[in-house]
Amino acid sequence: MNRLQTVSDLAALRRDLASAPKPDATLRVCSTGCRALGALGVCDALEAEVAKRHLADRVRVARVGCHGLCAGAVALVIDPKGIFYQGVTADDAAEIIEKTVLGGKVIRRLCWSGNGRAVSRQRSIPFYKHQTRRVLANCGVVDPTSLEDAIAHGAYATAAKALASNDPEAVIDEVTRSGLRGRGGAGFPTGRKWLLARQAPGEVKYLICNADEGDPGAFMDRALLEGDPHLVLEGMLIGAFAIGASRGVIYVRAEYPIAIEHTEIALAQAQEAGLLGENILGTGLDFRIEIRKGAGAFVCGEETALIASVEGGRGMPRPRPPFPATSGYRGKPTNINNVETLANVPLILREGRRWYARVGTDGSKGTKIFALAGKVNNTGLVEVPMGATLREIVYDIGGGIPRGRKFKAAQMGGPSGGCVPARYLDLAIDYDSVKDVGAIMGSGGLIVMDEATCMVDIARFFTDFCQKESCGKCAPCRVGTRRMLEILERICRGEGEMEDIDRLAELGRVIKEASLCGLGQTAPNPVLSTIRHFRPEYEAHIKEKRCPSHACEALAPVSCASACPAHVNVPEYVAMIAEGRFADALDLIRRRNPFPSVCGRACHHPCELFCRRGDVDEPISIRHLKRFVTEHVRDLGMPPQWQGPRRGRVAVIGSGPAGLTAAYFLALAGREVTVFEALHVLGGMLAVGIPKYRLPLEALQRDIEYIRRAGVNTVTGRRIGSLDELRGEGFDAIFIATGAHVGGKLGIPGEDLDGVEDALSFLRQVSLDQLKEVQGRVVVIGGGNAAIDSARAALRLGADAVPILYRRTADEMPATADEINIHGDGRVRAVACARMRLGDADEGGRRRPIPVPDSEHLVECEWVIAAVGQYPELDFAMDDDRVAVTNGRLTVDPVTLRTDGGDVFAGGDAVTGDPVMASSEGIDVFAGGDAVTGPATIVDAIAAGQRAAQAIDVFLGGAGELPPDHGFASPGKAAEPEDQAAAHRMPIRARSPKKRRSDFDEVIKGYSRQAACAEARRCLRCDLE
Amino acid sequence: MTDTSATREARAPAPPSDAEIASLLDSLAVSPASNLIGLLQNIQDRFGYLPPPALADLSRRMRTPLSRIWGVVSFYAQFYTEPRGRHTIRCCRGTACHVKGAGRVIDAVQRELGIEEGEMTDDLLFQLETVACLGTCFLAPAMMIDNQYFGKLTPQGVQSILRSFRAEHT
Repeated sequence: MNRLQTVSDLAALRRDLASAPKPDATLRVCSTGCRALGALGVCDALEAEVAKRHLADRVRVARVGCHGLCAGAVALVIDPKGIFYQGVTADDAAEIIEKTVLGGKVIRRLCWSGNGRAVSRQRSIPFYKHQTRRVLANCGVVDPTSLEDAIAHGAYATAAKALASNDPEAVIDEVTRSGLRGRGGAGFPTGRKWLLARQAPGEVKYLICNADEGDPGAFMDRALLEGDPHLVLEGMLIGAFAIGASRGVIYVRAEYPIAIEHTEIALAQAQEAGLLGENILGTGLDFRIEIRKGAGAFVCGEETALIASVEGGRGMPRPRPPFPATSGYRGKPTNINNVETLANVPLILREGRRWYARVGTDGSKGTKIFALAGKVNNTGLVEVPMGATLREIVYDIGGGIPRGRKFKAAQMGGPSGGCVPARYLDLAIDYDSVKDVGAIMGSGGLIVMDEATCMVDIARFFTDFCQKESCGKCAPCRVGTRRMLEILERICRGEGEMEDIDRLAELGRVIKEASLCGLGQTAPNPVLSTIRHFRPEYEAHIKEKRCPSHACEALAPVSCASACPAHVNVPEYVAMIAEGRFADALDLIRRRNPFPSVCGRACHHPCELFCRRGDVDEPISIRHLKRFVTEHVRDLGMPPQWQGPRRGRVAVIGSGPAGLTAAYFLALAGREVTVFEALHVLGGMLAVGIPKYRLPLEALQRDIEYIRRAGVNTVTGRRIGSLDELRGEGFDAIFIATGAHVGGKLGIPGEDLDGVEDALSFLRQVSLDQLKEVQGRVVVIGGGNAAIDSARAALRLGADAVPILYRRTADEMPATADEINIHGDGRVRAVACARMRLGDADEGGRRRPIPVPDSEHLVECEWVIAAVGQYPELDFAMDDDRVAVTNGRLTVDPVTLRTDGGDVFAGGDAVTGDPVMASSEGIDVFAGGDAVTGPATIVDAIAAGQRAAQAIDVFLGGAGELPPDHGFASPGKAAEPEDQAAAHRMPIRARSPKKRRSDFDEVIKGYSRQAACAEARRCLRCDLE
Repeated sequence: MTDTSATREARAPAPPSDAEIASLLDSLAVSPASNLIGLLQNIQDRFGYLPPPALADLSRRMRTPLSRIWGVVSFYAQFYTEPRGRHTIRCCRGTACHVKGAGRVIDAVQRELGIEEGEMTDDLLFQLETVACLGTCFLAPAMMIDNQYFGKLTPQGVQSILRSFRAEHT
C-alpha cells in the first residue's frame, strides 16, 4: 500500500474501499482458533469450489478471526445474510456453495440447534443474542491480515482524528471520564495511569502492550490479536499520542504463534502505510512498535517483571516505587496496558464516553470479554456488559452444563482468583462484586465447574501452578506455596488432618501479606476461596477419606465405582458382560449389592453421571446392563452358604433396601438375622412406593428370594412396639431401617377433605391394589419422584387429566407448595394457587420462587395428591433412652451408623443425614426434607445397609469384611480405541405412551444379548489405567 | 525402544561446530546492546536447543558474564540446554483441560512413550512437555505435536494418535 501522507488520505482511502463493488456473498471462516480443527482445509476447499465454478468475482472466502462460539469449530458466517454454520469440514464445501450461496437454502445439519430447533441466523442464536459485542464487533468479520479490510471497517479513523486534534489531554480526559479500568486484572483506571505517564518528566517514553496472557483458561487477548490486530495497534497509537510515547512494545506469549504472525503482519502493514513509524499521517507524531516474545514465565504478567523480561533479563519483579510511570523500561517513563484495555480505547473516542458508560455498573463501565470454558456447552469467547450475572453467562450464553450435571462453581481470575459458588449465580459481576466474594475479575478466564470437579483438587492445581511459576525472589511465595502444595497433595491422597485446613489458611494469610508482587499476593486465593465456600469438601477428604466429586485419583481411582454409594465394581462386571460372562457379572454385582434386579431398573445411577465415557459422547448404559444380566441369567443361583454355627443374633426392623441389604451381608458373615416387617409384603418402599410399571413385582421378588437364600429369616405383619421388646427376645444387636413412610402435610386449609391424599399413601394403596380407579381431574402438588409416580399412576387408574403444580419451572427441583389452598365442601372441588416467578439463587444455586402479585386462580379437580416430603415414623424408638431422635430422624455416627445406645444401629431414610454428604452428593433426603424418594435413595439405602452390616459384624466381634470383588475380569479386554470411538450408546426402548397408559406393565424394555455386549464393549476400562 | 545410552549417543545428531555457531552469531549481529532473550530464541530456533558453546560465544560477544546468560536461560521454561526430540508434544495442563481430565491423558502419553515430562524418547522422535495453557480451552483436554493441535482427547485416543504419528514419521 502507498504511504498515507495525511489524515485526509486515510479518509479518502476508506471512501474508495467503501465504494468498491461488494461480492454477492462473503464466507467468513474462522482461521485462527478453528485452525486446530481443520479451518484452513475448509478455506482451501471453499476457495477451490469457488474457482471451479468461476465465482471468484461474486463470492469471497475470507479468512477471519474467532467467531466466539469455539464449541462449534470449524465455524463460518455467510454474509450478507448472516448465516452461521458450525462443525464444518472440507467435505461440506461443495454443498455450502451449491445450496446456500447459490441456492439460498439453509443446510440444517450445519446449523446451531437447541431444543430440537435449528437456528440459521447468527444473531438469533442464544449464544450471540445475549451478548453485547463491542470490542469483538469486528473479530470474525475483518480479515486480520488485510489492512484494507480493517480500514474499510473504520480502523485508524479514530486515531487519526485524535492525532489531528493535537490535544492529548482531551484524549486522557475522555478515557478517564469513560470509566475504563484495566482489563488485565487489577482494574486500575486507565485514564489515571495515562495521566501519570504523561506528567512524568522525560524525553523518551514507552508504551507496552501486555499480551503475556499467562492465566490458564484465558484466551481473549490471543483472540483479539489474532482476529483484529489493527484495533489493538490503533489503541496503542492513541495511547502513545496521549502520554507522549515514541516507542511501543508488544510483549506476547511465544505459545501464541498465530497471534504473533498476525501482529507481525499488521505491524508491517501499518508501518508501510504510514500509520506507524515517523511523522504518522503528517501529524509529526513518531511511534514505532516492536514485538517481544515471552519465553514462558507467568510472573512476567506483573509489570515490573515484564519490564525486566523485555530488557532481556530474568523476569523478576522489583519493589515499587519507583513506578513504571516514572522509571520503567530502560529507566524511562513506561505505561503498560493489557490488550483488551487498548482495544476498548478506539471505541471510547469514536462513540464518546457517554455511549461507552451507558452499559456497566457504577464502578465498572463498558463490557468485559470472558473466555468461557470448562464444563459448559458453548465454550468460547463472550462479551457482556459489566454487571451481567454468572447465570446469564453460563446458562443463557453458555447453554448450561453438559450431561445434566449441576453447576458447582465458576473459577474466575485464574491462579490469582477464586471459585464463585452457585449461590452467587445471580450476582452482577464487576470488579468490586467479584472481589467481595473472594475471586477477582482477572483477565477474564471463566472456567465452569460441575459436580465432578473437586474443589480441593482445583486448589491443589492452582497452587501447583503458582509454586512452579514463583520466580523465587520472596521466601513466603517460594517456600510458602510449596508447603501449601504439600498439604493439599496430602489431603487429596486422603492423608490430611483437620488441622491442615487451619494451616492452609494461616500460610495463605502470611504469603499474601509478605510477598512483593501480585503473584505471591494472590497465589493463596484459590485455596482460601475454596476453603471459604467448599469447606465440607475438604472435610470429606480428611474425615471420610472420600472425594465427593470422584475426581481425586487416590480416593476415587475409578469414578463410576466411586460414585456408586454401594461401590459396586462397575468396570469389571461391565467387562464380564463384554466377554459374555453374564452369570459371573451378576455374582460380582451381588458382592456389593443384593438388589441387582431392582437397581437395574429403578436406581438413579450416579455411576452413569460420573462415567468418563460420557465426556467423549454418552456414558455407558450401566443401569441397563445390570438389568440385562438379571433378565438373561434365569437361574436365580445360590449365595455362598455359611458353614458352621451362626453366632450373634441381629434384629433388623424394616424390610426395605437398607434392612434387607444389612441382613444379607450379616447372613453371609455367619450371623443369625431376622428381619421384621410391619406390612404383609417384604420390600418396604420398593414394594409400596415404586409403581409396578417402573419396578415389576417379579423383579423385586427375585432379589428378595436370593437374599433369603443366604439364610435371612423374615417375619411379616409384625410391627415392633419398642426396642426393649427385641432385646427381651435375646437379640444382640438391632438395626433400624424403617424408612420414611409418612407423607408430608401441606399445612393448609382443606387438607382433610375427601379426595385429598398424600403421595405415599396414594402409591401404597395403588401398589397393594387397594385403590383401583380414580376419576376426573387429579391435581398433583410437588415435583419430586413421588409426584411424578403419583401422576403416572393416576393416569393409569383412569384420571381424565393430571395437572402437576410446581413452585418452580420444570427444570428446577421440587419444593413444598405452601402458597396453595384447597377448596371444597366435604369433597375437594378446586385448588387455589398463585403464579410464581423465579428469583435469585438460594444457597445451593437454585432459584427461589417468588409469588406474582394478583395471580391467584383456581384449578378445579376431583382429587389432590400432595407429594411434599416424607418422614419416618419412629414412635417405637422415641422413649428408648439409648437412641436420640432429632428433627424426626434418628441420630447416628455417620460412618458406623451406630446410635449412642451401643447395640442399636440405624440407616436409610430413618436417619439424620450428614449435611456434608447431603450437599456434596446432591441428595438431600435427610438435610432438606424434600420428597426425593424412590430411585434417588435406593442405592443409598443399600450402601447404608452394607455399612451397617460391617459395623454390626465388628460390634459382634467379626472382621466386618465384605466378599472380595476385585480382579475377576480379565484385564486387557478393553476394546480398541477405534471401535470405542465409533460405537454409540445402545438405545433403550420403551413401550409407546399410548399402550402403557392403560396398564401397569413395565415401560422400559431390556437389552438383547447382542445389544448388551455391544454396549459393554464401549467401556473405556478406566480401572486398567 | 531398548536402546542403550551408548547407541542413543551414537544416533543423536552431532552438536553444532564452533564454526556453525560463529556464523549464526555473525548473522545476528550480536552486540552488547542486543536483546538477550531475542538472541537466545534465535539460537534455539536454529539448533533446537541452546548449545553451551554458543552461550559462551554469546557471552564474549555481548561482553556479558556467562553467569548472567545462564541466569536468564534457566529462568524461562522455554529454553533448553540439551538436544531435544524432533517433534515436541505439548500437553496442556491448563484449568479447562485439567477439569476435563488432562491428568489421565498426560499419564497415557507418558505410558505410551515410556518417558516423563521433559524427556525425549530413545528414538529421538518425541520430546514431551506440558504447558500451563495452550489457550485452546474449547478443545480440552488438548495437546499439540509441533504446530498441530489435537483436542477432546481420551487416554485411549492419544495412544492411537501417537502410534499413527510415529508410523507416519519413521
